[in-house]
Amino acid sequence: MNERKSINRTHGPDAPFGEFSRVGKRARKVDSMAVATGQAMYTDDIQLPRMLHGKFLRSPHAHARIRSIDTSRAEALPGVHAVVTGSELPVAYGVIPWTEDETALAVDKVRFVGDEVAAVAAIDEDTASAAVRLIDVDYEVLEPYFDPQDALVHHEPAIHEGNRKGNISKHVLLEFGGVDEAMAASEVLIEDDYAFHGTAHAPIEPHCAIARWSGDGVLTLWSSTQIPHYVHRLLASVLGLPAHRIRVIQPYLGGAFGGKSDPFSHEFCVALLAKKAGRPVKMLLTREETFYTHRGRHPMQMHFRTGCDAKGRITAVDSKILIDGGSYSSFGLVTTYYSGQLLCGPSDFPNYRFDSTRVFTNKPPCGPKRGHGSVQPRFALEIQLDRMATQLGLDPIEFRRINCQSENTQTVNGQTVTSNGFLQCLDAVEEASGWKKKRGKLPPNRGIGIAGSMYISGTNYCVYPNDMPQAGILVKLDRSGLATVFTGTSDIGQGCTSVMATLVAEELGLRLDQVRVVTSDSDLCPVDLGAYSSRITLMAGNAAVDAGRKLRKQVQEAVAEKLEIAPGQVMLADGFAFDREDGDRRFTTQEAFQFAEAKFETLSASGSYNTPERGGDYRGGTIGASPAYSFTAHVAEVEVDPETGDVHVHKLWIAHDCGRAISPVQVEGQIEGSTYMGVAEVQLEHHEVYTGETAEAGLHMRPSLLEYTLPTTLDTPELEALIVESIDPEGPYGAKEAGEGPLHGSLPAVANAIYDACGIWMTKLPFTPGKVLAALKAHQAAGSSGAPNEGAN
Amino acid sequence: MRILHFQLNGDDAEVAAPDHWTLLEVVRYRAGLTGSKQGCDKGDCGACTVHVDGRSVLSCLTLAADIDGRQVTTIEGLSNVDGLDVVQDCFDGAGALQCGFCQPGMMMAARQLVTENPEATREEIKEALASNLCRCTGYTKIYQAVEEACRRQRQCTTERAGGAP
Amino acid sequence: MNTFDLQKPTSIEGAAALLPTSSDSRQAVLLAGGQDLLGELKDGLVEPERVVNLKGVAGLDAMNWEADGSLTLGALVTLQSLAEEPRVLEEMAVLAEAAQQVGSPQIRSVGTVGGNLNQRPRCWYYRNADSVCLKKGGTHCFAQLGENKYNAILGGGPTYIVHPSDLAPALVALGASAVLVSPRGRRTVLLSEYYLLPADDGITRETIREPDEVLASVHVPVQRQGMRSTYIKFRERGSYDWALSSVALCLWMSDGMTTGARLVLGGVAPTPWRCESSELLLVGHAVDEQTIRRVVDEALRQAEPLSDNAYKVPLTKGLVTRALQTLAS
Repeated sequence: MNERKSINRTHGPDAPFGEFSRVGKRARKVDSMAVATGQAMYTDDIQLPRMLHGKFLRSPHAHARIRSIDTSRAEALPGVHAVVTGSELPVAYGVIPWTEDETALAVDKVRFVGDEVAAVAAIDEDTASAAVRLIDVDYEVLEPYFDPQDALVHHEPAIHEGNRKGNISKHVLLEFGGVDEAMAASEVLIEDDYAFHGTAHAPIEPHCAIARWSGDGVLTLWSSTQIPHYVHRLLASVLGLPAHRIRVIQPYLGGAFGGKSDPFSHEFCVALLAKKAGRPVKMLLTREETFYTHRGRHPMQMHFRTGCDAKGRITAVDSKILIDGGSYSSFGLVTTYYSGQLLCGPSDFPNYRFDSTRVFTNKPPCGPKRGHGSVQPRFALEIQLDRMATQLGLDPIEFRRINCQSENTQTVNGQTVTSNGFLQCLDAVEEASGWKKKRGKLPPNRGIGIAGSMYISGTNYCVYPNDMPQAGILVKLDRSGLATVFTGTSDIGQGCTSVMATLVAEELGLRLDQVRVVTSDSDLCPVDLGAYSSRITLMAGNAAVDAGRKLRKQVQEAVAEKLEIAPGQVMLADGFAFDREDGDRRFTTQEAFQFAEAKFETLSASGSYNTPERGGDYRGGTIGASPAYSFTAHVAEVEVDPETGDVHVHKLWIAHDCGRAISPVQVEGQIEGSTYMGVAEVQLEHHEVYTGETAEAGLHMRPSLLEYTLPTTLDTPELEALIVESIDPEGPYGAKEAGEGPLHGSLPAVANAIYDACGIWMTKLPFTPGKVLAALKAHQAAGSSGAPNEGAN
Repeated sequence: MRILHFQLNGDDAEVAAPDHWTLLEVVRYRAGLTGSKQGCDKGDCGACTVHVDGRSVLSCLTLAADIDGRQVTTIEGLSNVDGLDVVQDCFDGAGALQCGFCQPGMMMAARQLVTENPEATREEIKEALASNLCRCTGYTKIYQAVEEACRRQRQCTTERAGGAP
Repeated sequence: MNTFDLQKPTSIEGAAALLPTSSDSRQAVLLAGGQDLLGELKDGLVEPERVVNLKGVAGLDAMNWEADGSLTLGALVTLQSLAEEPRVLEEMAVLAEAAQQVGSPQIRSVGTVGGNLNQRPRCWYYRNADSVCLKKGGTHCFAQLGENKYNAILGGGPTYIVHPSDLAPALVALGASAVLVSPRGRRTVLLSEYYLLPADDGITRETIREPDEVLASVHVPVQRQGMRSTYIKFRERGSYDWALSSVALCLWMSDGMTTGARLVLGGVAPTPWRCESSELLLVGHAVDEQTIRRVVDEALRQAEPLSDNAYKVPLTKGLVTRALQTLAS
């Protein structure tokens, strides 16, 4: 590991003298004009000369062996240029190097309805689809596993037949402190079962990839991926090609939310099809196919026990979680750890155990969705906290204050918390929501609830262990006065391109129109690990500050010479370089760059970032380790209709500690978008397959945006985003993540508000009218004592 | 194959397309205007919304043959030499553009509302945009953008009428 | 979407002449607004050689108030224009409210009365291109085997779809009739007799419309003075969604007593579900708590929920209660 560079990151470049000139301002995004005018080119908008179109043959069976595949009729169809099957791409891969259990196309077995079996390239989509229907596959149909409990017990034959653990994908059992003793000594003990049902990302842009081979054997892949670097690595491995002969470009991307993190079958197949056809090939998945491609949030069955003492101090937390992984590993090893590792804040507890098992089933593979791994157990834990508070007669916000961990501390599982603005978050939502006037005091069937959460700002270690930087950036200054930033970061709508521009502009005293950003082209940009685990602002942001600061020093020196002052006396702001003692003695930054270019020759600098040593000293202790953690508090106000079982979520107030808001408009957008997505999982969205005992078993039940019921304007509650800044010592100018943390609390806050509204604890998601009506009925039957009625849903 | 004559963003257009093609296919793959997006191809998301004779329609659920002789406007036709349309400018200014994939359709729907009802309330804005799914924003900044566009549209109307500046 | 020939006749008779004579829908289908049909074509649920576009027929988009106060709706009247028609809003609120709650704004601006009444089921087993359910000529209704929260609680078997139309319950409550034109002539049928239960030959189709018939118009008779009406729709999403349950109610009252009622449920049965015995319980009574309880119990008395849709019983009772309370107050 390289020695880490020390950068004073928490302050602006001219602190304490100057205010920030770009950071923290309500600016427009630097790349949004193309979006506003329809000029932005997304992958499917690219049309190459002679381009062919590819289509998949997908498995109609949930679990089957492939006896043989005959593609001759498809190949004979006029207009067909190439066909590929699994035997041509046999190299197993997986985003996590320890669980490489996928192949680009099924080689000898299919594991879910929709598993890719063959791919065809033809002159147009209709011809390719017709050819796909001419491929003959002889299957030996096997008994499918749909219930994870069942798959845990039965595994003959296993879904992955080489797996020594049957159908178990990953098992993690970790204990910190003495849970059983602490539980036994607790004043209050809450024990209950919770369920998360499984949901999809459903970005509005479906997956798409285009491959083109140049005459000298270089493969260019345009793909709607959020992690171009991992696609690049695995293309090299699966295609057996030196990595330097591959160029991966991520064009404008129409939303991802974790669903475009894995390297996908279509990315490999389009490359091989293009090679075989000698022409560029595009594969655009249909909406239905994106639902089968999936990698959505894992269904979890969760048993939680939580204890506290008479004063409301949490004594121990104990969970046992069964995770339905679907058919492949994907990020599942990490998911399994995250289901336990990310719960140890903002509420502190001295004893903790989690026992999480991920099981393979014959369903579309689950993976990382916004708030990876921890949204589900967070739902369970935050309801348990409210039940303890209720039992002790404590206000739920007060209960969380009592248990709030401090800043600069270690969690029970050995993670290092630096800044922590959770108490300010609680204050902010309590005040904004009018909590004290509302809690327990609203009219019948109307209620208000709270939840808290924490999340990582990037994962401390790359999925493939190495000593290279997590983030790299190049900045070029030229005599036109323009700074060009070259970064491998993936803008998936979250706005990291603007964040990079803002940070470089801040360091170099530029206006945003004087910075242009080139992103996500492996030929042009240094490696950045991509848009996952909420890592970009902190990691690539630090790299941007690093590069900007190097150039700033050169510019200051060159200008100092001209002004005959000390370099430290040169200020850069708003397109000017000037004497801090006398602002009239100034040059434009264009002039300043020309002085610097004359003095130092062509101007460019690289910046990079590596993480500090972090994590607990035990197996798995580095999973969940992050340089800094964000904190969020949610308050939800709901109304329950006792006649229809409808839960109407009126409003959520969300206070999020993002360290420092580099771009407040974008932070608000992340808070609002995260919370919208979380609330959608409470009532509407449900990824599920048909499990009746007919040949159709395994079919997706809602493979369209209509049936999957994404919330419309009329279904989305009012959202009020409140920014809390704790100024973290690890982040660029103190910044932490904002893209995933603000999802977590939206689910339990609604559940806790339902209790305040009508006295029922809803524990099994989604809260459909049928479940709510049943719970209300059971509650009425039990008398209006306020006693929770378990099993009602 | 059928030859269609229509107005596309103010220009005369003549396009040959098979009977089963939709307006979205004609706009994207014949006219090369890729601003209108295909999110679902089933009329479920609204990303393909364009104007036909000034009214928002789902171009993926409109057969191309049905636009013969009519006026079609896409996102590319919203801005002009004077710059951005007020709706585009307000969406950008409010931070309503995240990934942007739904926004061409969203902005076309918003444009119709701002034209027809610049006095629109928050509830009316929600109703008018209920054909258009956005996965990024939670809609909040979109409402703010449309409210600002309505305000500027009213101001513009007042100025044209010689009222207070 | 598969290829097809698009034909644009200029008369109803011309359109009917292009339709198949047998029930083989592979020959030709009718296109009105296209908001349902294009989805079916794209999913391959219908694969016709010919699509007959009704938009070439002049006058089909007309809405005419007759001298006697009755209303004739051409098949191509859009849902939006129906929802916004002032006299409909004033005199037949149930119809305007139903039209206003169909689909989404862009669907209502293009979708038509004829298309809404003839749309195909939304049952996910039917819509899934890869499942061959009973409705599509298979051997099983998967609603009996798998998840069925959206399916029928009344009138089901051997299939369990619910009819998706919002206009149908409202128009049945208003006593409307439909005019059907075919090469064999023209006939008028009450909409209450237009829809078929699965057990009455309604497995692969939902209406009595023959393959060569065009629904040309709908006639809404003049209503007895003093009618109050409403349409209440409960759905998962506020837009882009069909009813989990809906209630169309027309009520006549005098001196606090009900003198007439028509109650039709939507979203719970394979057809609009008229509750005549419940209507009788209303007549001659005040709309009080006791009457409401008798009425809602009677309306759902025959309900036979499947494994996941028992919630529709209390839900529908709640909606009927709300409709009665709204109109009586």
